[in-house]
Amino acid sequence: MAALQRLGQSSLSTSASSYVSCKAGEMAVLDQFPAGLRVLVVDDDLTCLKILEQMLRRCLYNVTTCSQAAVALNLLRTKKGCFDVVLSDVHMPDMDGYKLLEQVGLEMDLPVIMMSADARVCAVMKGIRHGACDYLIKPIREEELKNIWQHVVRRKRNEIKELEHSGSLEDNDRHKRGSDDVEYASSVNEGTEGTLKTQRKRSNAKEDDVDLENDDPSMAKKPRVVWSVELHQQFVSAVNQLGIDKAIPKRILELMNVPGLTRENVASHLQKFRLYLKRLSGVAQQGGIVSAFCGPVDTNVKLSSIGRFDIQALAASGQIAPETLAALHAELLGRPTGNLVTAMEEPALLQASLQGPKCIPAEHGVAFGQPVVKCQPNISKHFPQSIMFVDDASPMFGAWPSNGLGTVAPGSNLVGLNPQNNNMLTDILHQQQQRQQQHQKPQQQSALSESSRSINVQPSCLVVPSRSSANFQAGNSPVDQNYSYNRSAVIDYSLLSSQSNNSSLNVGQISGGDLKTTGVLSGYSGPGSISPSASSCSVSAEHNTSQQVQNSTLTFRAARQVPGLVPNVADIQGSYRAKSGEVLDQGPLRNLGFVGKGTRIPSQLAVDEYELPMNNLNHGKIYLTFSQNRLALLGEL
Amino acid sequence: MDAVTQLQRQLVDYTNSLFHEGFLDEQFNQLQQLQDESNPDFVVEVVSLFFQDSERLLNELAKILEQQNIDFKKVDAHVHQLKGSSSSIGAQRVQRVCIAFRNSCEEKNIEGCQKCLQHVKHEYTLVKNKLETLFKLEQQVLASGGTIPMY
Repeated sequence: MAALQRLGQSSLSTSASSYVSCKAGEMAVLDQFPAGLRVLVVDDDLTCLKILEQMLRRCLYNVTTCSQAAVALNLLRTKKGCFDVVLSDVHMPDMDGYKLLEQVGLEMDLPVIMMSADARVCAVMKGIRHGACDYLIKPIREEELKNIWQHVVRRKRNEIKELEHSGSLEDNDRHKRGSDDVEYASSVNEGTEGTLKTQRKRSNAKEDDVDLENDDPSMAKKPRVVWSVELHQQFVSAVNQLGIDKAIPKRILELMNVPGLTRENVASHLQKFRLYLKRLSGVAQQGGIVSAFCGPVDTNVKLSSIGRFDIQALAASGQIAPETLAALHAELLGRPTGNLVTAMEEPALLQASLQGPKCIPAEHGVAFGQPVVKCQPNISKHFPQSIMFVDDASPMFGAWPSNGLGTVAPGSNLVGLNPQNNNMLTDILHQQQQRQQQHQKPQQQSALSESSRSINVQPSCLVVPSRSSANFQAGNSPVDQNYSYNRSAVIDYSLLSSQSNNSSLNVGQISGGDLKTTGVLSGYSGPGSISPSASSCSVSAEHNTSQQVQNSTLTFRAARQVPGLVPNVADIQGSYRAKSGEVLDQGPLRNLGFVGKGTRIPSQLAVDEYELPMNNLNHGKIYLTFSQNRLALLGEL
Repeated sequence: MDAVTQLQRQLVDYTNSLFHEGFLDEQFNQLQQLQDESNPDFVVEVVSLFFQDSERLLNELAKILEQQNIDFKKVDAHVHQLKGSSSSIGAQRVQRVCIAFRNSCEEKNIEGCQKCLQHVKHEYTLVKNKLETLFKLEQQVLASGGTIPMY
């Protein structure tokens, strides 16, 4: 009897609970959430592996262990989507943990946590640079593992954001991303500045949102037009032709003459474009504030800030069009990254974008796609001075080969690198170049350069004379390789400088901030970081440079990565490209990633890449160098 | 009954001494806490793995250090691994010597490396004996019908 009664009770309670099932179900999922998390652990140390396995089991995770990195990679490849997070040792005989990390970053979108008994800052930094979402120092305690699910959630959240982001107007997401990224920023050297920027960013973003929504509430539902770099350039040149005040969608549409494009498409794009310009001008007016602004926030923000600077310079110089173009590229094309990229026709970009839904990588990919080619050739060729520098620099280039560039000859190394990128990009660029060529005065020294020149509008816009000197010195001190680059970079500035002296002065006050911003813009980084040490004057130049730099940077990286891949490079260019693009996005990328987030870290990271051991010691100088490197690259190219 | 209690006390004392003398650290407690019904021999299994692995590494190290051209990178890699695994089971003293070992290695100090190798071998042997004794005591407690006291 008792048993029966109990039965009855239990069934009752069951049914009762089923009433609430809807909510209860959800809650249950949440309650259990970290349980069942699929974790792949890779460690050649069986002792550690076993302990980790048990610890992870205790956390109720679903654990798969693997004692060889290569096997793990295979597992990840063949069972895509079967893991939520990867825990990997750093030192493994068959494959360096960083390599695995990089590979995972390239091929799949999985959070990877590195583990090592090596607690040195440079080791941790390397992990971050390669894209580790966390770095645990052995011995690892269970409590540390209880928390790893957060990386999975964070990653997912970012993905969702990006999706939303792509689905609607990019502006909406800026502030969100910005706030997320601030964490990173603050952890590094940023702190208050970061917050400030974020706040500023936010209010900005809100205004934008309101505007956009009022103007065109239904936009998100319409079939999306992918504003490829090319399309955007057509748009910009149409706007430039009409004049921004007189540019109306209908006229722009006529000028663009693109089949399938509707007036609405153009209208909404124009709206974004105008907002972008507005932001730029806003910044210009608030020179003092700029630094706070630019800093670490989002990629987008940074981009815009760069754009702003450019604008200043342009205003000063009177040539708005080219820079606007560049700025727009960065801003408009860069952000929507995920979508834009995917849609893009250019294979290289496509590949880069294919990697994943992540915005950040995509952005980079996009941005770099075009700019790379453009910037480099222009600088070096146009300017006699730069050439001189180049000579100096050439010895430095020697260093490059060591990085993996090997093939490339000193003076021409950069060029050599470009070709790879260029080839891919070339087709795309050609059209653009042709359009832009008007702006440029092509001097054909190298075949490669030709392609790139066309795009280069930016260089001419920015001029910062004073800066160059500062750079030089800074450059000399720390990094050799960089140094050489720096020189060339410097040169660029000086050449450019004539136009924008005024702007540079303004910038001067802000310089610290600005530079940083630049760095971000360049995304790739370095540039931003450089700023602190650099003199204020140079800032404006930097901005300009930075955009160019972006391109160059990309190239650079691609080249850099090559080393690892090198054996194949020659044949594979096409495929490699994709990789390089990807790599850029993620691996070193991490730099990129950081950049996207707006943190200054990127620059640091970038620096690290170049100079293996020095990492943090000379931040200031290193930054400079780094950026200069990019610059140099540009110059060289 | 008394015998069991006595054994248990002995076990506790011995365990405590290992901690006091610095052979083991908190990480070993972690290990013990990881052992449960689903994995009743966990600690012994892990420690045996550690023994196997360490012996392999120590042999490798001895071989490398005998060579004329010492591959310090390899030395460092091995020592690093030993450091990782010893720290993971809480073999604190082994871990400490590994740190010194790595320093010598970084300085490419051959003599220092050889000294460290001897030192680490020594520490390893010590902790191995201690742990084996500990496990034996545990076995005795279990064999006499007692349970392993938790710390």
